[in-house]
Amino acid sequence: MFNYYMALAVLSLKRNVVLTVLMIAAVGVGIGASMTMLTVFRAMAEDPIPNKSHELFAVQIDNWGPRKSFSSNGDNLSEQVSYTDAMALMSIRAAKRQSAMYATGAALTPEDPERRPFRVHARATYADFFPMFSVRFRFGASWTAAEEAERSEVLVISRELNDKVFAGANSVGKTLNLDGHPFRVVGVMEHWEPIPKFYDLNDMYGKSEEIFVPFGRAIENQMPSWGNTNCHDDIGAPGWDGHLRSECVWVQFWAELPTAAEAEHYRSVLNNYAADQQRSGRFHWPPNTRVRDVREWLTYQHVVSNEARILVLVSFSFLLVCLLNAMGLMLAKIMGRAGDIGIRRALGANRRAIFSQCLIEAGVVGLAGGCLGLALTALGLVGLRSLLSESVSRLTHLSISDVAIALILSIVATTLAGLYPTWRAAQVQPVWQLKAQ
Amino acid sequence: MEFRPILSAMRRNKVGAILISLQMAITLAILCNGIFIIVQRVALSKRPTGADESNIFVIPNQWVGSPPDLVARLRGDLTALRGLPGVIDAYATNSTLLSNGGSSEGVNLKPDQKEASAQTALYFADEHALNALGLKLVSGRNFNADEVTDKMGYTDHGPAGVVIITRALAEKLFPGKTALGQSIYVQPADHAMQVVGVVERMQVPWVGSWSAKFNDNSILEPFRYADTYAYYVVRSQPNQLAGVLKAAEKKLYEVGHDRVLEKIKSLTEARAEVYQDDRGLAVILGVVCTALVAVMAFGIVGLTSYWVAQRRRQIGIRRALGATRSAILHYFQTENCLIAASGAALGIGLAVCLNLWMVSTFEMERLHLSYPISGAFVMLLLGQASVLWPAMKAASVPPALATRAS
Amino acid sequence: MLKMTHLSKAYRTEVVETYALRDFSIDVSEGEFVAVTGPSGSGKTTFLSIAGLLEEFSGGEYQLDGANVRGLNDDQRSKLRNEKIGFIFQAFNLIADLNVQDNIDVPLRYRGFDAAERRRRTQEASRRVGLSARSRHYPAELSGGQQQRVAIARALAGSPRLLLADEPTGNLDTQMARGVMDLLEELHRDGATIVMVTHDPELAVRADREVHIVDGQVVELSVPSRRIAAASIPT
Repeated sequence: MFNYYMALAVLSLKRNVVLTVLMIAAVGVGIGASMTMLTVFRAMAEDPIPNKSHELFAVQIDNWGPRKSFSSNGDNLSEQVSYTDAMALMSIRAAKRQSAMYATGAALTPEDPERRPFRVHARATYADFFPMFSVRFRFGASWTAAEEAERSEVLVISRELNDKVFAGANSVGKTLNLDGHPFRVVGVMEHWEPIPKFYDLNDMYGKSEEIFVPFGRAIENQMPSWGNTNCHDDIGAPGWDGHLRSECVWVQFWAELPTAAEAEHYRSVLNNYAADQQRSGRFHWPPNTRVRDVREWLTYQHVVSNEARILVLVSFSFLLVCLLNAMGLMLAKIMGRAGDIGIRRALGANRRAIFSQCLIEAGVVGLAGGCLGLALTALGLVGLRSLLSESVSRLTHLSISDVAIALILSIVATTLAGLYPTWRAAQVQPVWQLKAQ
Repeated sequence: MEFRPILSAMRRNKVGAILISLQMAITLAILCNGIFIIVQRVALSKRPTGADESNIFVIPNQWVGSPPDLVARLRGDLTALRGLPGVIDAYATNSTLLSNGGSSEGVNLKPDQKEASAQTALYFADEHALNALGLKLVSGRNFNADEVTDKMGYTDHGPAGVVIITRALAEKLFPGKTALGQSIYVQPADHAMQVVGVVERMQVPWVGSWSAKFNDNSILEPFRYADTYAYYVVRSQPNQLAGVLKAAEKKLYEVGHDRVLEKIKSLTEARAEVYQDDRGLAVILGVVCTALVAVMAFGIVGLTSYWVAQRRRQIGIRRALGATRSAILHYFQTENCLIAASGAALGIGLAVCLNLWMVSTFEMERLHLSYPISGAFVMLLLGQASVLWPAMKAASVPPALATRAS
Repeated sequence: MLKMTHLSKAYRTEVVETYALRDFSIDVSEGEFVAVTGPSGSGKTTFLSIAGLLEEFSGGEYQLDGANVRGLNDDQRSKLRNEKIGFIFQAFNLIADLNVQDNIDVPLRYRGFDAAERRRRTQEASRRVGLSARSRHYPAELSGGQQQRVAIARALAGSPRLLLADEPTGNLDTQMARGVMDLLEELHRDGATIVMVTHDPELAVRADREVHIVDGQVVELSVPSRRIAAASIPT
């Protein structure tokens, strides 16, 4: 019977082309708009590192004390930590893996004197960073523990930078001149670009860094932070050393805590550390620390912007209007065919048969509308890419699950919209005569 | 026009009328709020900086390594830039307008205040800055050359003795009296700085919502910013920007080639870039609202055409009984008006509710009532426009239809 | 086959109650060809609607092929209609979108026959009414008489126990009408039970017997050639 109803649906849709086109257009446009926004929204809300998001924790520690800051988080915690606390936590080693890090940059002077120096974005971090964040290597590997301890002038470069400078060849062992210092390449990463850039929300949808240098080396070279620095009341003594010793926060700190037990243990270690600081007089307030896993961190940071939420709301309301429209058109179409329905009822179709027939017709409209909607979504995403800044454009890619969602949403929504017209159709009495319209 | 027979006839086609009414209500709610947001974002993106934007460009200058003679290099660069033909003036700074990057501090009136009296942006500027930005002094004076010192990056904490502030900040800190000669305290809070000049306007470098409340509170501190990474702000003669920009880049590389000069852009470009997402949002909302209106209009046309077709015989009978064409036309127009009126009424309520919800959830502003009310009238007109074609088709149904069997 | 006893059908509004059928009894045996006649408004259409399970009735009893019809729900009535009754309407009531073959096929779909069975029955019914050559034609391409024959084929395809015809020749010219009546008589000779509503005495003559309805009640005639003139009926 399903095939029969499908055949009847197609026939019926062909009969009144204008009405059919209007219905499919209404559904298609509604799906197109809402899927366009939903795709971006889902990308924003997506887990950037699904297999490890519950094992990676951002560490926060209050080193300013109770204050009326103009930050909106309400728990008196900054998103970053001070250099002092970061170094202390690194030496405590309470996690399976951990890394302090910050965003910086340098001028890279190419070997070819004809070419001008150019800017590279860098991340100063510890070797643990790479396994922690599931970074894979194309060539080589991260620096060794020995190189880290010695603060060697080594670096890991991104695939993109490797392509740009070394034409994609294996550059392990080669040298890059950063701000006049020769750094040796020890590893080349595979393409790695988590979206959003959860590990450093100073630059939420920014590109990943081009080079990674050992934290200790960056500090020694006095590479300044290119991210946010918050100093609250105390900007510290002048100069680089003064800056390091100050209570300014500019370092991000991440710990890998695979099990709940380890997370608990870490929490208590963190609190003990803060309690120690209180005892020693550096802090004048009780311990105030937090660790948040990736998902919690993203929520806490309001990564999904208000604009995205508003657009999703607006576009789904648009879809609602389109569905109401389609419902009206379906009603018109079905009631225009009341005669045929009456005949079928007279010939023995029961209400359920009529119901099925009309519902399947609605489903067919939904399918066709969904396909149109998908095409419009692709178009919409292209439009978004050209309208919005580059960082947001990284969110505008249609994944397979988005396609599936579009089609299923379309079919289900149109079928739901068709419920009332279908119900009306099933109420049509079996006719003895075709009554005058 | 008698409403009762129309209403009772509509009762038989209840659902269709309700559908149109609902569509109009939702459309009105979305339209009001959408247009409101658009207007707000466009207004945001047009906020003036106070500077002569069309003639200013910014060069982010990054030296390779940390040269020991930063100050000499800086002076050399500025001299070279100021000497270029077509350049009105230039200066070096830590942050520029429309860049979303800079330094923000609270400012106090007394050294030991718990809570800042105002939030501000800090700009480092020398005595050429006012000229290089085209800022207007409304009272007081510019910095003297001997008041400007070198600042070797942010970690160089040498304090300023005098400052120039914006009029907005002056009014906030010293309402009703002159700011000149007053002292303010910025980090480190133990050092007083005297206000020697007030400029008409200088926007903070950020354009996001977090800085909206102190958008025009800026302080200029007399420093030459000598850091590995600094911004050179150059103002050119009118209509010469493109040429001067290229000349400036070339000249700087001539003076010293171990530097990176990337992303040199004019303030006009910077404005477009920094507000790109706001403009984008406005455009997207505009497109969706237009599409919404179109869908609603087509829906009305479609459904009304169906009703007309359904009632053809009835219309023919009316015509046979003496109704004129315009009577039929008016019938359908009135019917549509009643539906649209109920939709508009519901829509006004929906618009206000939606806005209240958005105010609490997204920290938006409250909608002025003028939006939904004028929107309701627009809906009514739109409805009438949409129903015109089907109503005219109805009016052309011949009276002879009454005599034919179906 | 079709047995109604003291059947009544009332239409109630707030103010007034009208009886379309009142104390109506009829007994059609298997294999009979009965003509139902009467002036317009007499209730013969209502009778056919109730007989065809298209409408419910207010009082009395109706037995179709031995089964009591009162109290059946909509699904049961649809099923009974589908299996036991074949309809032939005055206005043909073919579905314009479907061709001849698909039109005949419609009741078979709701019966649940498989494809092979449906094909066999459709072909047989087409052949029976002489339209095998036009299986792929659409109703708009056929003459009135041909359309009615398609309708008859559709009625036959499910091997119904009873054929109900409402003015089967009402929309046809004389020649086509004759053809259709010939076909009906042929079916009758082959054993079909037919109840035909008509206002045309010429057609009524062709049946076995005539039942005359006036104002919702039966005034029966045993031989169709004689008719009692409608006298005033006691209320």
